[in-house]
Amino acid sequence: MGDDPFGAVVAAYHAEIRRYLLRLTARASDADDLSQETFLRAFRAHRSLPPGANVRAWLFTIATNLCRNHFRAQQRRRRAHAAAALDRPERDLAWPDGEALAGEARARIEGVIAGLPVKQRLAFVMRKMHDLDYVAIGVSLHCSEESARANVFQALRKIRRGLDGLIPVTMESQS
Amino acid sequence: MNLHPVCREIEPDLLAVATGEAPPAAAERVEGHVARCAACREELGHYRAVERLVGAYRRTPPPGDDATLARAELDSRLADLRSRLVSFGIFPSPLGPLLIARSELGVSLVRYLGGRGSAAAEARRFLGQAAIEDRTATEGLYADLVEYLEGRRTRLDWPLDLGRARSDFQRRVLEATARLPYGAVASYAGVARRIGAPAAARPVAQALRWNPLPIVIPCHRVIGSSGALVGYAGKKVALKQRLLAIEGVRAVPAHGDFRVRRDAMYALHVGESEYCLPICGSLAERPLSELVLFGSRERAEAAGFAPCTTCRPDLHPLAV
Repeated sequence: MGDDPFGAVVAAYHAEIRRYLLRLTARASDADDLSQETFLRAFRAHRSLPPGANVRAWLFTIATNLCRNHFRAQQRRRRAHAAAALDRPERDLAWPDGEALAGEARARIEGVIAGLPVKQRLAFVMRKMHDLDYVAIGVSLHCSEESARANVFQALRKIRRGLDGLIPVTMESQS
Repeated sequence: MNLHPVCREIEPDLLAVATGEAPPAAAERVEGHVARCAACREELGHYRAVERLVGAYRRTPPPGDDATLARAELDSRLADLRSRLVSFGIFPSPLGPLLIARSELGVSLVRYLGGRGSAAAEARRFLGQAAIEDRTATEGLYADLVEYLEGRRTRLDWPLDLGRARSDFQRRVLEATARLPYGAVASYAGVARRIGAPAAARPVAQALRWNPLPIVIPCHRVIGSSGALVGYAGKKVALKQRLLAIEGVRAVPAHGDFRVRRDAMYALHVGESEYCLPICGSLAERPLSELVLFGSRERAEAAGFAPCTTCRPDLHPLAV
């Protein structure tokens, strides 16, 4: 009554968590469902969070767990419907025109990210799209800080290879 | 890529430098190496370009990035969850253990416990097994209630959660009753009129019999059309008389019940902004359902009403 600490958590992080899930699933309906489930779970548990806990990192952990379960379920379904030969999550939305990143580079980055092993993809999106530190990413992925970093770097290597030919050869000079 | 062993070793540092995460020693190592090695210099350039492209990719909102609808749905699910997530406290009172429960929306149940089995077990029978015993969540409400019952407080400004209302009709009755001012009484038929169901005096009485928030929603301020108190929580009409007495409304014993005397109370015609002596104009002939009666001028004025400029209750107060 009166003060509403969880309302403030929703106001601060819902849009970001949904965007995180949207980047991972590429489907608005999946991002809607998973973000809702993230916050419903958080609501049930937030009273037991110690004071001073990193709520944002905690929400990313919940969202990441839900997302991994979602991918697993999706894979099981896909295996069950092998005849349908859906080897890529279907994309229900088109990119709007005229935004920051040129079309081909974006499509390549997207393609590489979509093709990354799940753990690398999660680590990459948490680090490079949402600035989480490696400790928090490690907690979310149930691995060490070093392993979290290695997953991000591995993703960057694959993106670098995926962009071969698109990157201008003459880059900035060394300082 | 067949890298020279030195280049292979330095490659992770190259990446760290490109992403801006390299500690000073590694940055220095990379600087020294790329000054000599053209291949790695180019590679570092590639990684920096990747870093910039990834940054641009990040600034491009993904399609479907409008969270408005999802947020609205989440808020409604949370409101529903909140109203069902209940904490309660059990407090001593002269009438036995008093249960006070609240959700995040507001106070949802006030009830005397009968004392069968443990009080907490009895509370959970009313509230569901998921209810959390948490005195700190409700002790502020209890303290206010004690002050109120001792006549030291005239308002209980708690947000209400009417989620336990059994019907929309009951909810409307409870809301109308909650608006009755301290120190005033109205009739069941009067509440029925206020909610736009003038013939429903009896259903109003039934709705108030199951008031989940006695005292907080002052159903004790609602009486029969004759001025008789009629009933309270079953047969506890003496308790109703005591609650009214705390607020300065006198009721005298009459035929096994109690009765307020209209001729000894100030009257307000519903919809007016001035309160009157009971004999002002045609007030004495009006049915009680059109009136609100106040036990004292102070209460009428505290509720925001001015003395009538015709009958001047301020100049000719009722003899107490």
